[in-house]
Amino acid sequence: MNRDNGKAAVQERERHRGVILEFWRNFRSNALSLTGGIIVAIFVVMALLAPLLSPADPVKQFKVSSGMHNPLPPLTSSAEGHFFLLGSDKYGRDILSRALFGTRAMLRLAVGAVALSLFIGMIMGAVAGYNRGSWLDEVIMRIVDIMLSFPALVLAIALLGALGIGETKIAGVTVSNTFKIMIVIVIAYAPRFARVMRSVTLQEVSEDYVAAARVMGASDTRIIVKEIIINTIPPVIVQGTLMMAETVLISASLSFLGLGLQPPAPSLGVMLNEARDYLFQGSWWYAVVPGVFISLAILGFNFLGDGLRDSLDPRQARRVKI
Amino acid sequence: MGTYILKRVLLAIPTLFFASILVFLLVHIAPGDPVRVMLGPVQDPALVEKLQQKLGLDLPLHQQYLIWAGNVIKGDLGISTSVQRGAPVGELISQRYGVTLELALFALLIALLIAVPTGILSALRQNKPSDHISRVFALVGISIPNFFVGILLILLFGVVLLKSWGSGGFVPFSEGVGSNLQRMFLPAIALGTSYSAVVMRMMRSSMLDVMGKDYVRTARAMGVKKSSVVRRDIVRNALIPVVTVIGNSIGYLLGGSVVTEMVFRLPGIGSLVMNAVFRRDFPVIQAVVLIIVAVRIVVNLVVDLLYAKLDPRIQYTSTE
Repeated sequence: MNRDNGKAAVQERERHRGVILEFWRNFRSNALSLTGGIIVAIFVVMALLAPLLSPADPVKQFKVSSGMHNPLPPLTSSAEGHFFLLGSDKYGRDILSRALFGTRAMLRLAVGAVALSLFIGMIMGAVAGYNRGSWLDEVIMRIVDIMLSFPALVLAIALLGALGIGETKIAGVTVSNTFKIMIVIVIAYAPRFARVMRSVTLQEVSEDYVAAARVMGASDTRIIVKEIIINTIPPVIVQGTLMMAETVLISASLSFLGLGLQPPAPSLGVMLNEARDYLFQGSWWYAVVPGVFISLAILGFNFLGDGLRDSLDPRQARRVKI
Repeated sequence: MGTYILKRVLLAIPTLFFASILVFLLVHIAPGDPVRVMLGPVQDPALVEKLQQKLGLDLPLHQQYLIWAGNVIKGDLGISTSVQRGAPVGELISQRYGVTLELALFALLIALLIAVPTGILSALRQNKPSDHISRVFALVGISIPNFFVGILLILLFGVVLLKSWGSGGFVPFSEGVGSNLQRMFLPAIALGTSYSAVVMRMMRSSMLDVMGKDYVRTARAMGVKKSSVVRRDIVRNALIPVVTVIGNSIGYLLGGSVVTEMVFRLPGIGSLVMNAVFRRDFPVIQAVVLIIVAVRIVVNLVVDLLYAKLDPRIQYTSTE
C-alpha cells in the first residue's frame, strides 16, 4: 500500500513535469511564439536598462539652434550639440529617451496589474470551479458577470473619473496615479481570469487524479493548490500573456486620454496625445515613435500568447480538410 | 423556447440592477464630500446646500439609491454640474449619442466587410501561406491601438485630405450627408480595422470548428459539391457564433469609440464622458456609464435570444 502510494506520487510528479516540459517544447518549435518571445525579451531589456540605454535625461529640455524650432526631426542636433536619434518633442526633450522610460513605466504597470489580477482571478475561479453549483460558486460568478457587463476601458475611465486624476488621499494614505490605474485594471480584469480559471478547474476536477487524491484523503485546499493549480499553469500562462497585451493597450489608452501618468513623467500614451497637435505641420516622428513602441510591445505579447495557445491546443492546429 | 427567453430576461435584470448600484456608488468612492468634489474649487454655500438636498445626501445610502434609480427610470438622469452647469444630463446625451452610434455602426460595417471574407478564406486554406499571412495580419491589427491607427490615417491621408475638409471635427447628418460621411470615414476606418482583426479571428476559428463537424463529412461523403457544402452548411453555421461574439464585444466598440472620438475630436458620448471626467461632473459620468452598460446588457440579451433561435441543431432537425 505504502509502495503504491509512493509510486503514485512519482507518477503524479512526472505528470506535472510532463505538462510543463511539453509546453516548453511546443513553445520552442512554434515560430509565432518564438518571434513574440524575442520581441518581449527585447522590451524587457529596454525597460530594465532604460537608464543605461537612454542617450539623455527624459525630462531634460534641450535648446534649439537659432532658426529651428521644436519638435526637431530625427538625426538632428540641439544647440548644445545633443544628437536626437529619433527627434525631439515640443519642449525639446529627447524622444528616444522618453520612449525608453515610457516603456519602463508601461511594463512595470502591466506586470503589476497582470500579476495581481492573475492571483485574485485564479483564487476566485479555482474556488468557484471546485465548489461547482454551491452558493459560493453562484456568488463569485454573479460578481464576475456584473463586472464583465462593463467594458474594461469604460469601467477604468469611470473609476478613475471618480477617484480623480493624479495623486489622491484615500483614508489618509496617498495613492499614486500608477497604483490607482493598476487597481482599476485589476478590477476590470481579475473577473476575466476567474472565468477562465473556473472552466479549466471544472475540467481538471473531473479528471481521475483529483478523484484519486480525494480518495486518499487529501484536503480540499491541498487538492486545489497542489493538484489543480499546477495543471492549470499552461492555460493561465497563455491567458496571462494575452492579458499583458490587453493591459498595455488599456494603460496606453488611458495615458492617451490623459488619465495615466501625468506630465512631465515620460509616458508613451501622453506622447501620442501631445503629438496630435503637430500632425498637420508634419512632425510624424513625434507620434510614430511612441506609437510603434506601444504597438510592438502589444504585438510581442499577442504573438507569444497566440503561439503558446496553438501549442497548448493541438486540436486547433490540426488540419481540417473538407 | 418560451421558458428560455424568460430565464434570460430574468437573469439580465439582476445584472443591470447590481451594475446600477456600482454606478451609483461611483460618487461615494470618490474621496471627500461628493458635493464639494462635484462643485470643484468654487464653492457657493447656498449651492452646496441645494445640491445636498437635491441629491438627498443626508439620507441613508439605500434611500439615496432608490431616489436616484427612481429618477433614472423616470428618465431624469440628473443635472450636469460642470460640463454645462445646470443642463439636464439627458439632453446632453441626446445631443451627442447620434455621433457615437453612427461611428460604431459604420465601424462595425467596415469590420464585417473585411473580417468575414478573410476569415472564411483563411479557414478554407488552413495552414497554407495565405492563411498564415492573414493570421499574422490579424494579430498585427489587434496589436496596433486604434488611436494610433487613427493618427497614422491622419498622417497618411489627413494631412492631404483633411486639410481640404478642415481638420477633424464633425458635420451633422442634417447638414449634408456627403460631408458627414466624409468626416466619419477616417474615424470609422480607424475603429473598424482594429475591430475587424478581432472578428476575423473568430470567424476563422468558428469556420474550422464547423468544418470538423460530422454533418460536413457526411454531406461530402454523400457527394455534395464542396462549394455548396461551404456555402450551405459551413459558412451559415459558422456565422452563428460570430453573431454572438459580435454582440458580446459591443463593449469593445463602445470603449474604442471613446478613444476614436478623442483622436478625431468628434462630439460624441465618448468625448462627453472624458470632458466630465476631467471636470469631475459626476451626474454625467454616471449617466453615460449606466447607458453604456445597459446597452451592452440589452444587446447581449438580444444576441443570446437570437442565438437560441438560430441554433443549428434546431435548423437541422427541421430541414431533414
